[in-house]
Amino acid sequence: MTDILGDSERDAVTEILNVAIGQAAASLSQLVEDEVALSVPFVEFLSPVTAATRLDEATGRLDSVAVRQRFQSSFSGDILLIFPENKSLDLVRSLLGTALPLDSLTELEQEALLEIGNIILNACLGSLANQLGISIESSLPAYVRGRGARILDSKHPDTELVMFLQVDFALTAKGVQGYLAFVMDIASARHFSAAVGEYVTRIMAG
Amino acid sequence: MADKMVLVVDDSRVARMMTRAAIAKLHPTWPIIEAASGEEALTAIALDRPDYVLLDVNMPGIGGMETARQLRSRCPAAVISLLTANIQDPVRHQAGEIGVGFMAKPLKDEALAQFLASELNPS
Repeated sequence: MTDILGDSERDAVTEILNVAIGQAAASLSQLVEDEVALSVPFVEFLSPVTAATRLDEATGRLDSVAVRQRFQSSFSGDILLIFPENKSLDLVRSLLGTALPLDSLTELEQEALLEIGNIILNACLGSLANQLGISIESSLPAYVRGRGARILDSKHPDTELVMFLQVDFALTAKGVQGYLAFVMDIASARHFSAAVGEYVTRIMAG
Repeated sequence: MADKMVLVVDDSRVARMMTRAAIAKLHPTWPIIEAASGEEALTAIALDRPDYVLLDVNMPGIGGMETARQLRSRCPAAVISLLTANIQDPVRHQAGEIGVGFMAKPLKDEALAQFLASELNPS
């Protein structure tokens, strides 16, 4: 699959996404007042089934909750913020403080996760747009619960390859782990790579 | 400083809760009213005249940017700012063109304090 993007294109794409994910991590850190540790992002081209399996392996094959936004520019795709289901309440507690009773926290869990997703995913997309000097439209965030295939919501799971990037992050003091994922189809990945290439050329030209 | 009224417009109840808490920490006696959409905000200003308005952008219905335009002309004295996770440069530029401020989520206490210390527009 390495011929879909060359090494230098893949490197440029990864670097741009790395900066955008860093912006998202900074927002999350500020939101929950905890340090966020990030894994090194790595772009891969996988079948949707393999991407879902990869996500299931990371989440211990348990249900997760996710916030998904579709985005659209000269390229389009999905960006997702994913948490193990059994940890999502801890995250909501971090956001809203410990003063609220458990039943209120549970009632607000979905809305709180949507707002966390809204902030984190837009920080990422916004950084991406600002770096590339383009505008990216995004849908309102949607809440999803389930295993990898449901969360990634592949339209054609048996045929298309997708550009998949998964970053593991951890809130060190609070013991909460989560995942940020980008999914684009191949045509979009090529458009995205072209936009990144133009950006790199502009930077190099000074 | 006399009490001022703040209108918080956001489709997320949690976002409104967090913004309300941040305002109340700085100005415990100020009245805070909430709207869950741009349409609700435009209805709310028929009953109350907020001095400060904090406005989300990505909302169902007419959305924050169009709401900002209408609020700007219907509440000329109010100090209005977007409060949004959408940190893209064009959103900041549009805010400037409309004549409203821009604040990024998550809301920083210092930015909020500065906004709530802004002088009201002469009416």
